[in-house]
Amino acid sequence: MNKQSLLALSPQLLRILALVAVTGLILLFFATQIENYLNGRLFNRISSSVAVMALIATGQTLVILTRNIDLSVGSTVGFTAFAAGSLITLMPDLNPALLVAYAALLGAGFGLVNGLLVAYASVPSIIVTLATMALYRSLLVEFSNAKSITSESLPAWLVDFPNLPVISIGDLQVRAGFLVAVTIVFLAHLALTRLRPARRIFAVGSNPEAAAMAGIDSRRVVLVAFILSGMLAGLAGFMFLARFGNITVVAGLGFELKSIAASVVGGVSINGGSGSVIGAFLGTILVDLIDSSLVRWPIVSEFWREAVLGAMILIAVAVDTLFIRRLDRMRAARAHETALAQQGAKS
Amino acid sequence: MTQPTLALRSVSKSFGMTAALTDMTLELHPGEVHAIVGENGAGKSTMIKIMTGIYQPDTGGVEIDGTPVLLQGSKAARLRGVAAVYQEPMVFPDLDVTENIFISATGSLWLNKSAMRRAAIDLIAKIGMRLDVDRMASGLTLAEQQAVEIARALSQNVRVLIMDEPTASLSAHEAAELRRVARALADQGVAVVYISHRLEEIFQLADRVSVIRDGRHISTRLVTATTPQLMISEMVGRDVGNYFSKMQSTATQDVLLSVRNLGLAGIFEGIAFDLHRGEVFCMAGLIGARRTDVALAIFGITPANAGTIRYKGKHLHAKSPSDAMAAGIAYVCEDRRKLGLAMELPIRWNITLATLSRYLSRLGLVNTQAERHTAADFRKRLNIRTPDAEIPVGKLSGGNQQKVMLSKWLNMNPDLLIVDEPTRGIDIGAKAEVHDLIRQFAAQGGAVLVISSDLPEVLALGDRILVMREGIQMAILDHADASQERIMALATGQEKAA
Repeated sequence: MNKQSLLALSPQLLRILALVAVTGLILLFFATQIENYLNGRLFNRISSSVAVMALIATGQTLVILTRNIDLSVGSTVGFTAFAAGSLITLMPDLNPALLVAYAALLGAGFGLVNGLLVAYASVPSIIVTLATMALYRSLLVEFSNAKSITSESLPAWLVDFPNLPVISIGDLQVRAGFLVAVTIVFLAHLALTRLRPARRIFAVGSNPEAAAMAGIDSRRVVLVAFILSGMLAGLAGFMFLARFGNITVVAGLGFELKSIAASVVGGVSINGGSGSVIGAFLGTILVDLIDSSLVRWPIVSEFWREAVLGAMILIAVAVDTLFIRRLDRMRAARAHETALAQQGAKS
Repeated sequence: MTQPTLALRSVSKSFGMTAALTDMTLELHPGEVHAIVGENGAGKSTMIKIMTGIYQPDTGGVEIDGTPVLLQGSKAARLRGVAAVYQEPMVFPDLDVTENIFISATGSLWLNKSAMRRAAIDLIAKIGMRLDVDRMASGLTLAEQQAVEIARALSQNVRVLIMDEPTASLSAHEAAELRRVARALADQGVAVVYISHRLEEIFQLADRVSVIRDGRHISTRLVTATTPQLMISEMVGRDVGNYFSKMQSTATQDVLLSVRNLGLAGIFEGIAFDLHRGEVFCMAGLIGARRTDVALAIFGITPANAGTIRYKGKHLHAKSPSDAMAAGIAYVCEDRRKLGLAMELPIRWNITLATLSRYLSRLGLVNTQAERHTAADFRKRLNIRTPDAEIPVGKLSGGNQQKVMLSKWLNMNPDLLIVDEPTRGIDIGAKAEVHDLIRQFAAQGGAVLVISSDLPEVLALGDRILVMREGIQMAILDHADASQERIMALATGQEKAA
């Protein structure tokens, strides 16, 4: 690809292409390292785990776009998973749609608390969600009363649903859980790029001062972003319950960091204003691919897996920053040249 | 006469004890370019903020089409067709040109991207610019960003477009383009408010011009019925008796700083002056004259790339503030809040911040006893009015904050003191005290370089006055030859550089 056609692509599209390319390279690399690596089971394993994390990363992306961060999503996932599990244990005949709505609303409620504190009490989001991360987790411990949810107590439809193969090609199965997640990500992407109010999320993160001047109520935008993040974490809680069946008080622990990593690797700017849900989705896949492949790679000991993941995030962000900055400069230079040429043509 | 599109009726606005606008009345008619001129701090920004709904008047009101309206927030103003374009445009760097133009558009829930894109192309064409609407705003030049803002205003059916120093940072070619756009908009019936320090530009473009001074409306005339001289005298014509009289010069013949042909590409050039021990040397000019940039070059923050600086008889090339400080140069910046003081920290900490290495004990700990001593000393010498030196600087009045900032730098015992806008936003009593301090410092053998936009201050302090305009040194006036009118004529380019 030459310079000119590279410049013609939007930075967002370039990022997505780069992510796909890197994912491909990593697949090829591990295929040479691990026997019997590239098969349907690899896809099944990763798609099942992505089905939960992609929802959280989508919500996290919305929050990061507004220049905030949501550290409470892991606890929200844990709490909603447990609460939904308790509810369905108590009422095994409950309509599935109501169970999903219960988890989503519970999550949205947690997000509402975060959003109100960040937007209207003007407490920095890192403080608010650090506090609510601990708070929601403690609520879960209190609520669970030292009991766990086990898959035996759950109805069969719930436990079976995520692994239901919708399309099967040999070993490879596209399962219902993954399809649901992909659908939600796609809808979120469509809304974020095409819905008029969604533009405000980018505006608030990109230049808060200009957003205020343009008459955008940034508090409301931030509040909505947190509510959506909580709601998506609630949905993820439901998916988590369905996937694992066994829920303890540590459910969803560490998910907040994974979701941030996925968003950032997926090209969402931690300074807000730029990024896409599709990028975060690909970031989720990439992080999970590396994580699960490293488990099977004998050369890397278990202790180094976290380090490799950390290095990955650093490299992704550094390369992205350098690359995009370089591209910006090239674009500016080209625009300058065109302007000069036009001026020359006029005079 | 036609009905004014927008009118201010006896608007007054105060901030604390300071009156920013007093009984301001102004009418903007459809189809006119209405220039507004005034010194820095005359109240132009406050006036714009009232027109755009950011501030509400304390008394008086705003009328649109003859009906009193309450403009609460910029959204309300935009809905009424009032929009503003600033010297530093307000764009969203991560959105493309199309998205920037239609950011506050209302309409269907779903965006029709291709229709938006076409509309953006039309709007850009309407103002006669060439701009790729798919480009991200982060890569646009200032002129292009302004075009985006104007297009945004047009997309909202703008009826009053306020342009605040739009050409201050533009090249001559870009500025001419912008004036053409402003005229074209007026011809379409928009009332254009044009705020500029470039008087020649006003005579090229405007239909009427209003002079404001000290928050009051002075005059509104047809451009054909006024002259630059008249405008200048109205801009500065205050009652000089209320201000300070010139203090006795203490200048010696001992040259401390000698600047020759100093320049920084694209910012300023050809700056040359000598500064003597005991002298107070002022730099006057308007916003955009690049005086602060010269100071930053001497102080090593953005070193010059042309010319020489000799200091104490030796070549000086400060590459960083610490180089300059080591040589005995102190720089008291103009923005107390952003660059000058740590507002949450105690007065004592702020005073010793630049010289902390002097207060370290042998173990490398800060000797708070010595710190307290210094703070108490300055509090007494500079008459900093505070119960004690341990309270946060942010709690003090502007004048006392300024004294803390001066203390911080005087504690360095500099030979050369550069002070940038030393009395902006502080009351008249504190002003006099700061002036005394500057003069005292010079009398004790130091040299002072004062940058000030306050003409009475320049005349009260300056033994000599260097006038700059858009990066060029216009003249160095001896105090005897200087007057407010003369300085203003040089600063606005009405009197040519010698």
